[in-house]
Amino acid sequence: MNAGNALFIVGALLCLVGALSTVIARSPIRAAMGLLITIIGIASLFLKLSAQFLAAIQIIVYAGAVVVLFVFVIMLIGADTSAGPPKSGGSVGSRIVAGGGMAVLSGLGLLLLARFDGQPVRFGPAAVGHGDVEAVGGLLFREAIIPFELATALLIVAVIGAIAVARSKARPRPAPPESHESKRLFHGPLHPRDAQRPLSKEPAE
Amino acid sequence: MTFDVVYGLSPLLVVALGALLLMLAEAFGKPNPQGLAPTGEVSDAGAGRAGELGMGAAVVLFVGAALSLGVWLAGPDNLVGLELTRPYLIWDRFTVFVCFTLCLGGGLSCLLAGGYLTEHEIDRAEFFPLVLFSTVGAMALAAAGELLTLFVALETMSLGVYALVGLRRTPRSSEAALKYFLLGSFAAALMLFGAALLYGATGRTDLAGIGQAIAAIGQGEGPGAAQVLIALVLVVVGLAFKVSAVPFHMWTPDAYEGAPTPATSYMAVAVKTAAFAVMVRVLLIAFGDERLTSWASGWPPVLATLAVASMTVANLVAGRQSSVKRMLAYSSIAHAGYALVAVVATIRSPAAEGSILFYLLTYTVSTAGAFGALILCGSRGKEAVSYEDLAGIAKRHPAAAMAFSLFLLSLAGVPPTAGFFGKLYVFQAAIDAELYVLTVVGLLNSLVGAYYYLRVIVFMYMREPAPGATLAVPMRSGYVASALVIAAVLVIALGVLPNVTLEWAAIATVGRS
Repeated sequence: MNAGNALFIVGALLCLVGALSTVIARSPIRAAMGLLITIIGIASLFLKLSAQFLAAIQIIVYAGAVVVLFVFVIMLIGADTSAGPPKSGGSVGSRIVAGGGMAVLSGLGLLLLARFDGQPVRFGPAAVGHGDVEAVGGLLFREAIIPFELATALLIVAVIGAIAVARSKARPRPAPPESHESKRLFHGPLHPRDAQRPLSKEPAE
Repeated sequence: MTFDVVYGLSPLLVVALGALLLMLAEAFGKPNPQGLAPTGEVSDAGAGRAGELGMGAAVVLFVGAALSLGVWLAGPDNLVGLELTRPYLIWDRFTVFVCFTLCLGGGLSCLLAGGYLTEHEIDRAEFFPLVLFSTVGAMALAAAGELLTLFVALETMSLGVYALVGLRRTPRSSEAALKYFLLGSFAAALMLFGAALLYGATGRTDLAGIGQAIAAIGQGEGPGAAQVLIALVLVVVGLAFKVSAVPFHMWTPDAYEGAPTPATSYMAVAVKTAAFAVMVRVLLIAFGDERLTSWASGWPPVLATLAVASMTVANLVAGRQSSVKRMLAYSSIAHAGYALVAVVATIRSPAAEGSILFYLLTYTVSTAGAFGALILCGSRGKEAVSYEDLAGIAKRHPAAAMAFSLFLLSLAGVPPTAGFFGKLYVFQAAIDAELYVLTVVGLLNSLVGAYYYLRVIVFMYMREPAPGATLAVPMRSGYVASALVIAAVLVIALGVLPNVTLEWAAIATVGRS
């Protein structure tokens, strides 16, 4: 076994262990740490594929920023508010059906793979300079400029969407139709002081 | 050279530019006190201008549609510079036709939103940039000839729509948005997994290259063939989710019902159109070799099963709905089934691609019109939702009832409306391709479908509202009315004179391998 294969095995194990602990962990902080392990594992897989630049970006952006953001949000909400999985709505029967379906599908996939024997598809060795900053930059800004520019549209739409969905909660919505008729009698509070007080039957925000 | 590229891509560029300008207009515009909710709070500058912004967005999209028409007349093949965008974007007649349909559907939805958001005091001007950017994604998706572009475009389109569903922020709307987002992300992940397997098996990311490599892998030997099969399954599942074919339709009724109605209209027309366009391109170019398009060992039987399940399940369930909006959601699933019949027919009939395009165009104008008529029938606090709400509306508001009837008849496929010719050409293509069973199932389903469309008309014209029931009061809005007039003119025009459009659709092919 050479060093490259050892790196692959370590990276793959890190990914699997991290992904499993992300899903299984009861405490959200542990799940976030599991995600961190997965990300480091993926970065080492990138290294093995001689994509050094991507590996560095993976560590800087995902481990450095995204996971920190996750942890920040978990801390903000309170780490123990959601400890323990919520009660699942499905009955035992539906869970067995779902699990059985997954098992059958995986079995079919394995069978399909096993039916074909032979060597896996092999890619040639990477060219010199493959995966360094210049190569990635050339690919992004010269050849694949169209998907790159489309990605800007994707980011903008994500930002607008996040604002649109998140902001509406802070604004008082118009009253529901039932109480609408009676409230229409007054166009605004009679006294400035009344503006501070909610109308009857409306819980204070 | 540069001119060719800019002119060729102008529908896409204009819509993207328009979206940016609308964002600025929303941020720096003065609030309009007349459009504000009496109890709402002014917290952003563009508040109360939903009508004007909707008009602006609709104009941008109609300009996009006009430019698509211009590019079509110039002929994308004559614009030599467009070769530069390959393989990322394939800007052929197929793409331009789909772009026209997308801009038309988006423009109608924006006009509807201009009236709806004002009337229902949903003071969310983000609606319009979201629709425009989502349309940019949809056009790029229809043109995508490479897996990376395809995925980025798909996500651009979907993210915008997820946000549109959750815009209203009622519990039902939020639940619908979350459900749609989670299931949609799952489907996108499956598709990405399929794309990765395809790259692993073929070493290419452009669809044409993948098609050649798969043809070279040959007769089902070697591990590459197994990977290709699994990738095919995953990609088909992802696309079937986007067109909401049974059994990947679970999110559709909830998302369609929870979304503001103009957003529902946009989802039903634009998302579905773009998803069908990319489905045809991926299946015919990447998975278009002889083995995979044969009935014995390829995707046709899978898609035929999806088509039969979509038509049958959706039509049976739609008849049992008490909400008209939910019924229209199931009807859109059924229509996905009819279009899937045409997708299957592409294997043997060269006319099938054109019939899909024509069908999508007729479906776009009929569905946008039907949702528009539903919007017109309700007003603030008195939104028309159920059949009971519509009872006897023809006596009180004959114009609204007539418009609704026209679009429902078109959806049911009654001549001489657009919907009739859409269905006719789909079934003709299916018969050309010797898919007799599918054709018969489709025809029977059209009959079943007529039941629930006509039921709405029966309620509108022949029932009286129950005493004491809340009456739906139609709204007054120039925006909604103009959208309905445009849609109605197109429904009748495409129904009476389908020839030119059909000839155009017939020459818009994806150029299969």
